[in-house]
Amino acid sequence: MIVRIWNNIHVFWVILALPAAFMAAALVRDPAAAFDLIHSSGEVSVRLLVLALGISPLRQLLGPRRWILWLVRRRRAIGVAAFGYAVLHLTFYLLDMVFWDQIVADAMVFSIWTGYLALAIFALMALTSNDGVMRLLRANWKRLQRLVYAAAVLTAVHWIFVDGEVRGAIIHFVPLIILEIARMIHIFTKRHGQLRKPVP
Amino acid sequence: MKFTQAMMAIAAATAMQVATSEPAQATGKMKCEAGPQSTWVSREKLEAKLKKDGWKVKKSKVDGGCYEVYATTPEGDRVEAYFHPVTMEKLLVSRRGKVLFRKQD
Repeated sequence: MIVRIWNNIHVFWVILALPAAFMAAALVRDPAAAFDLIHSSGEVSVRLLVLALGISPLRQLLGPRRWILWLVRRRRAIGVAAFGYAVLHLTFYLLDMVFWDQIVADAMVFSIWTGYLALAIFALMALTSNDGVMRLLRANWKRLQRLVYAAAVLTAVHWIFVDGEVRGAIIHFVPLIILEIARMIHIFTKRHGQLRKPVP
Repeated sequence: MKFTQAMMAIAAATAMQVATSEPAQATGKMKCEAGPQSTWVSREKLEAKLKKDGWKVKKSKVDGGCYEVYATTPEGDRVEAYFHPVTMEKLLVSRRGKVLFRKQD
Protein backbone atom coordinates (compact mmCIF):
# COMPACT_ATOMS: atom_id res chain seq x y z
CA MET A 1 0.00 0.00 0.00
CA ILE A 2 2.67 2.49 1.08
CA VAL A 3 4.85 1.33 -1.82
CA ARG A 4 2.00 1.98 -4.24
CA ILE A 5 1.41 5.48 -2.91
CA TRP A 6 5.16 6.14 -3.02
CA ASN A 7 5.34 4.97 -6.63
CA ASN A 8 2.38 7.06 -7.77
CA ILE A 9 3.60 9.88 -10.01
CA HIS A 10 0.92 12.27 -8.70
CA VAL A 11 2.11 11.69 -5.16
CA PHE A 12 5.60 12.49 -6.39
CA TRP A 13 4.33 15.81 -7.77
CA VAL A 14 2.79 16.62 -4.41
CA ILE A 15 6.14 15.92 -2.72
CA LEU A 16 7.87 18.21 -5.22
CA ALA A 17 5.32 20.95 -4.52
CA LEU A 18 5.59 20.76 -0.71
CA PRO A 19 8.43 23.29 -0.28
CA ALA A 20 6.50 25.74 -2.48
CA ALA A 21 3.46 25.33 -0.22
CA PHE A 22 5.53 26.17 2.85
CA MET A 23 7.04 29.18 1.06
CA ALA A 24 3.60 30.45 0.03
CA ALA A 25 2.37 30.03 3.62
CA ALA A 26 5.37 31.98 4.93
CA LEU A 27 4.68 34.78 2.46
CA VAL A 28 1.00 34.98 3.41
CA ARG A 29 1.93 35.16 7.10
CA ASP A 30 4.50 37.92 6.48
CA PRO A 31 4.91 39.67 3.09
CA ALA A 32 8.40 40.81 4.18
CA ALA A 33 9.43 37.13 4.10
CA ALA A 34 9.90 37.44 0.31
CA PHE A 35 13.44 38.57 1.00
CA ASP A 36 14.35 35.38 2.89
CA LEU A 37 12.50 33.19 0.40
CA ILE A 38 14.71 34.37 -2.46
CA HIS A 39 17.56 32.25 -1.19
CA SER A 40 15.58 29.19 -0.15
CA SER A 41 13.62 28.96 -3.42
CA GLY A 42 16.85 29.28 -5.42
CA GLU A 43 18.45 26.59 -3.32
CA VAL A 44 15.55 24.14 -3.79
CA SER A 45 15.71 24.81 -7.54
CA VAL A 46 19.44 24.00 -7.63
CA ARG A 47 18.99 20.82 -5.57
CA LEU A 48 16.35 19.56 -8.00
CA LEU A 49 18.51 20.55 -10.97
CA VAL A 50 21.49 18.65 -9.58
CA LEU A 51 19.27 15.63 -8.90
CA ALA A 52 17.78 15.69 -12.41
CA LEU A 53 21.20 16.02 -14.03
CA GLY A 54 22.76 13.36 -11.83
CA ILE A 55 20.37 10.62 -12.95
CA SER A 56 21.90 9.88 -16.32
CA PRO A 57 25.53 9.64 -15.12
CA LEU A 58 24.28 7.41 -12.28
CA ARG A 59 22.63 5.11 -14.78
CA GLN A 60 25.74 4.95 -16.94
CA LEU A 61 27.99 4.27 -13.96
CA LEU A 62 25.83 1.75 -12.12
CA GLY A 63 23.76 0.23 -14.89
CA PRO A 64 19.97 -0.15 -14.91
CA ARG A 65 19.20 -0.55 -11.20
CA ARG A 66 15.63 -0.39 -10.00
CA TRP A 67 15.97 2.80 -7.98
CA ILE A 68 17.75 4.54 -10.83
CA LEU A 69 15.00 3.57 -13.28
CA TRP A 70 12.50 4.83 -10.69
CA LEU A 71 14.30 8.18 -10.83
CA VAL A 72 14.58 8.09 -14.63
CA ARG A 73 10.78 7.88 -14.86
CA ARG A 74 10.57 11.00 -12.68
CA ARG A 75 13.37 12.97 -14.27
CA ARG A 76 11.04 15.16 -16.32
CA ALA A 77 8.96 15.98 -13.24
CA ILE A 78 12.11 16.83 -11.28
CA GLY A 79 13.42 19.02 -14.11
CA VAL A 80 10.15 20.89 -14.53
CA ALA A 81 9.97 21.36 -10.75
CA ALA A 82 13.50 22.82 -10.80
CA PHE A 83 12.22 25.35 -13.34
CA GLY A 84 9.15 26.00 -11.19
CA TYR A 85 11.29 26.88 -8.18
CA ALA A 86 13.49 29.08 -10.38
CA VAL A 87 10.32 31.00 -11.36
CA LEU A 88 9.38 31.26 -7.68
CA HIS A 89 12.91 32.49 -6.98
CA LEU A 90 12.43 35.28 -9.53
CA THR A 91 8.96 36.04 -8.16
CA PHE A 92 10.22 36.47 -4.59
CA TYR A 93 13.07 38.62 -5.89
CA LEU A 94 10.67 40.89 -7.79
CA LEU A 95 8.31 41.10 -4.80
CA ASP A 96 11.25 42.09 -2.63
CA MET A 97 12.65 44.64 -5.10
CA VAL A 98 9.30 46.39 -5.78
CA PHE A 99 10.70 49.21 -7.93
CA TRP A 100 11.18 48.69 -11.66
CA ASP A 101 14.07 51.12 -12.02
CA GLN A 102 16.00 49.17 -9.36
CA ILE A 103 15.12 45.85 -11.01
CA VAL A 104 16.40 47.12 -14.37
CA ALA A 105 19.57 48.56 -12.80
CA ASP A 106 20.15 45.22 -11.03
CA ALA A 107 19.75 43.31 -14.28
CA MET A 108 22.85 45.05 -15.64
CA VAL A 109 24.99 43.50 -12.89
CA PHE A 110 26.85 40.34 -14.00
CA SER A 111 25.61 38.19 -11.12
CA ILE A 112 21.99 39.01 -11.95
CA TRP A 113 21.92 38.73 -15.74
CA THR A 114 23.57 35.32 -15.59
CA GLY A 115 20.57 34.26 -13.49
CA TYR A 116 18.09 35.67 -16.01
CA LEU A 117 19.91 33.91 -18.85
CA ALA A 118 19.89 30.58 -17.00
CA LEU A 119 16.16 31.02 -16.33
CA ALA A 120 15.49 31.77 -20.01
CA ILE A 121 17.20 28.50 -20.99
CA PHE A 122 15.25 26.57 -18.33
CA ALA A 123 12.03 28.12 -19.64
CA LEU A 124 12.86 26.90 -23.13
CA MET A 125 13.52 23.39 -21.81
CA ALA A 126 10.35 23.35 -19.73
CA LEU A 127 8.24 24.53 -22.69
CA THR A 128 9.67 21.77 -24.88
CA SER A 129 9.46 19.08 -22.22
CA ASN A 130 6.17 17.50 -23.33
CA ASP A 131 5.85 14.39 -25.53
CA GLY A 132 4.38 16.30 -28.47
CA VAL A 133 7.31 18.67 -28.85
CA MET A 134 9.70 15.80 -28.19
CA ARG A 135 8.33 13.89 -31.20
CA LEU A 136 8.23 17.03 -33.31
CA LEU A 137 11.86 17.91 -32.73
CA ARG A 138 13.20 14.33 -32.88
CA ALA A 139 17.02 14.32 -32.74
CA ASN A 140 17.09 18.09 -32.28
CA TRP A 141 15.25 17.67 -29.00
CA LYS A 142 18.24 15.99 -27.40
CA ARG A 143 20.52 18.68 -28.79
CA LEU A 144 18.22 21.32 -27.32
CA GLN A 145 18.14 19.58 -23.94
CA ARG A 146 21.95 19.66 -23.81
CA LEU A 147 21.62 23.42 -23.28
CA VAL A 148 20.82 22.44 -19.70
CA TYR A 149 24.55 22.12 -19.04
CA ALA A 150 25.10 25.74 -20.09
CA ALA A 151 22.20 26.73 -17.85
CA ALA A 152 23.68 24.76 -14.95
CA VAL A 153 27.01 26.55 -15.33
CA LEU A 154 25.23 29.92 -15.54
CA THR A 155 23.28 29.03 -12.41
CA ALA A 156 26.48 28.22 -10.51
CA VAL A 157 28.07 31.47 -11.71
CA HIS A 158 24.92 33.42 -10.71
CA TRP A 159 25.03 31.94 -7.20
CA ILE A 160 28.77 32.44 -6.70
CA PHE A 161 28.71 36.07 -7.83
CA VAL A 162 25.58 37.08 -5.94
CA ASP A 163 27.12 35.61 -2.78
CA GLY A 164 30.55 37.05 -3.52
CA GLU A 165 32.03 33.69 -2.49
CA VAL A 166 32.04 30.10 -3.71
CA ARG A 167 31.13 28.04 -0.66
CA GLY A 168 27.36 27.64 -0.90
CA ALA A 169 27.36 27.04 -4.64
CA ILE A 170 30.29 24.62 -4.60
CA ILE A 171 28.78 22.48 -1.85
CA HIS A 172 25.68 22.06 -4.02
CA PHE A 173 27.37 21.42 -7.34
CA VAL A 174 30.20 19.15 -6.14
CA PRO A 175 28.15 15.88 -6.28
CA LEU A 176 27.25 16.65 -9.89
CA ILE A 177 30.80 17.61 -10.84
CA ILE A 178 32.11 14.35 -9.36
CA LEU A 179 29.44 12.32 -11.18
CA GLU A 180 30.22 14.01 -14.50
CA ILE A 181 33.97 13.44 -14.09
CA ALA A 182 33.35 9.80 -13.14
CA ARG A 183 31.10 9.40 -16.18
CA MET A 184 33.77 10.81 -18.50
CA ILE A 185 36.45 8.53 -17.04
CA HIS A 186 34.02 5.60 -17.25
CA ILE A 187 33.27 6.26 -20.92
CA PHE A 188 36.96 6.74 -21.70
CA THR A 189 38.17 3.57 -19.97
CA LYS A 190 35.34 1.51 -21.48
CA ARG A 191 36.29 2.62 -24.98
CA HIS A 192 39.92 1.98 -24.24
CA GLY A 193 39.11 -1.52 -23.00
CA GLN A 194 37.13 -2.32 -26.13
CA LEU A 195 40.03 -1.25 -28.32
CA ARG A 196 42.37 -3.57 -26.52
CA LYS A 197 40.03 -6.55 -26.71
CA PRO A 198 41.49 -9.18 -29.03
CA VAL A 199 39.54 -9.75 -32.21
CA PRO A 200 38.19 -13.32 -32.22
CA MET B 1 34.79 -1.23 -10.98
CA LYS B 2 36.53 0.02 -7.83
CA PHE B 3 37.12 3.53 -9.11
CA THR B 4 33.46 4.06 -9.99
CA GLN B 5 32.40 2.86 -6.55
CA ALA B 6 34.88 5.19 -4.85
CA MET B 7 33.58 8.15 -6.88
CA MET B 8 30.00 7.18 -6.04
CA ALA B 9 30.85 7.00 -2.36
CA ILE B 10 32.38 10.49 -2.48
CA ALA B 11 29.38 11.87 -4.37
CA ALA B 12 26.98 10.24 -1.89
CA ALA B 13 28.95 11.56 1.07
CA THR B 14 28.96 15.13 -0.22
CA ALA B 15 25.26 14.89 -1.08
CA MET B 16 24.59 13.76 2.50
CA GLN B 17 26.69 16.61 3.79
CA VAL B 18 24.70 19.11 1.73
CA ALA B 19 21.40 17.65 2.87
CA THR B 20 22.32 17.89 6.54
CA SER B 21 24.49 21.02 6.53
CA GLU B 22 23.68 23.93 8.80
CA PRO B 23 23.29 27.33 7.20
CA ALA B 24 26.69 28.98 6.99
CA GLN B 25 27.55 30.97 10.10
CA ALA B 26 30.22 33.22 8.61
CA THR B 27 30.65 33.91 4.93
CA GLY B 28 34.26 35.07 5.13
CA LYS B 29 33.59 38.18 3.06
CA MET B 30 34.52 40.46 5.94
CA LYS B 31 36.05 39.85 9.34
CA CYS B 32 35.96 42.13 12.36
CA GLU B 33 38.07 41.69 15.48
CA ALA B 34 35.89 43.81 17.69
CA GLY B 35 36.29 42.17 21.10
CA PRO B 36 33.48 40.87 23.31
CA GLN B 37 29.89 41.48 22.22
CA SER B 38 29.20 43.34 25.48
CA THR B 39 31.24 46.25 24.10
CA TRP B 40 29.31 46.40 20.80
CA VAL B 41 26.69 48.97 19.95
CA SER B 42 23.28 47.37 19.43
CA ARG B 43 21.97 46.54 15.98
CA GLU B 44 19.01 48.80 16.73
CA LYS B 45 21.37 51.72 17.24
CA LEU B 46 23.20 51.01 13.98
CA GLU B 47 19.91 50.67 12.10
CA ALA B 48 18.65 53.94 13.60
CA LYS B 49 21.82 55.73 12.53
CA LEU B 50 21.57 54.32 9.00
CA LYS B 51 17.92 55.35 8.81
CA LYS B 52 18.87 58.87 9.83
CA ASP B 53 21.47 58.87 7.03
CA GLY B 54 18.79 57.98 4.48
CA TRP B 55 19.21 54.19 4.29
CA LYS B 56 16.26 51.78 4.25
CA VAL B 57 17.23 48.71 6.26
CA LYS B 58 15.67 45.37 5.36
CA LYS B 59 17.53 43.08 7.68
CA SER B 60 20.65 42.99 9.84
CA LYS B 61 22.67 40.24 11.46
CA VAL B 62 26.13 39.32 12.72
CA ASP B 63 28.51 37.90 10.11
CA GLY B 64 32.22 37.30 10.61
CA GLY B 65 32.17 39.38 13.79
CA CYS B 66 30.77 42.39 11.89
CA TYR B 67 27.25 43.67 11.49
CA GLU B 68 25.90 42.74 8.09
CA VAL B 69 23.01 44.84 6.82
CA TYR B 70 20.73 44.29 3.83
CA ALA B 71 19.44 47.68 2.81
CA THR B 72 18.74 50.32 0.19
CA THR B 73 21.31 53.14 0.15
CA PRO B 74 20.28 56.81 -0.06
CA GLU B 75 21.27 56.53 -3.76
CA GLY B 76 18.65 53.78 -4.23
CA ASP B 77 21.00 50.78 -4.59
CA ARG B 78 19.98 47.46 -3.08
CA VAL B 79 23.07 46.45 -1.16
CA GLU B 80 24.61 44.17 1.39
CA ALA B 81 26.83 46.23 3.73
CA TYR B 82 29.24 45.45 6.57
CA PHE B 83 29.78 47.71 9.56
CA HIS B 84 32.19 47.56 12.49
CA PRO B 85 30.12 46.62 15.53
CA VAL B 86 31.89 49.03 17.90
CA THR B 87 32.76 52.07 15.77
CA MET B 88 29.83 51.61 13.32
CA GLU B 89 32.33 52.37 10.57
CA LYS B 90 31.29 51.34 7.05
CA LEU B 91 33.61 48.55 5.87
CA LEU B 92 32.15 47.02 2.72
CA VAL B 93 29.19 47.71 0.47
CA SER B 94 28.31 45.37 -2.36
CA ARG B 95 25.41 45.27 -4.76
CA ARG B 96 24.53 41.74 -5.93
CA GLY B 97 28.12 40.68 -5.35
CA LYS B 98 29.63 43.73 -7.07
CA VAL B 99 31.72 45.71 -4.60
CA LEU B 100 30.70 49.40 -4.52
CA PHE B 101 32.78 50.41 -1.52
CA ARG B 102 35.58 48.87 0.47
CA LYS B 103 37.31 50.57 3.37
CA GLN B 104 40.99 51.18 2.62
CA ASP B 105 43.35 50.41 5.46
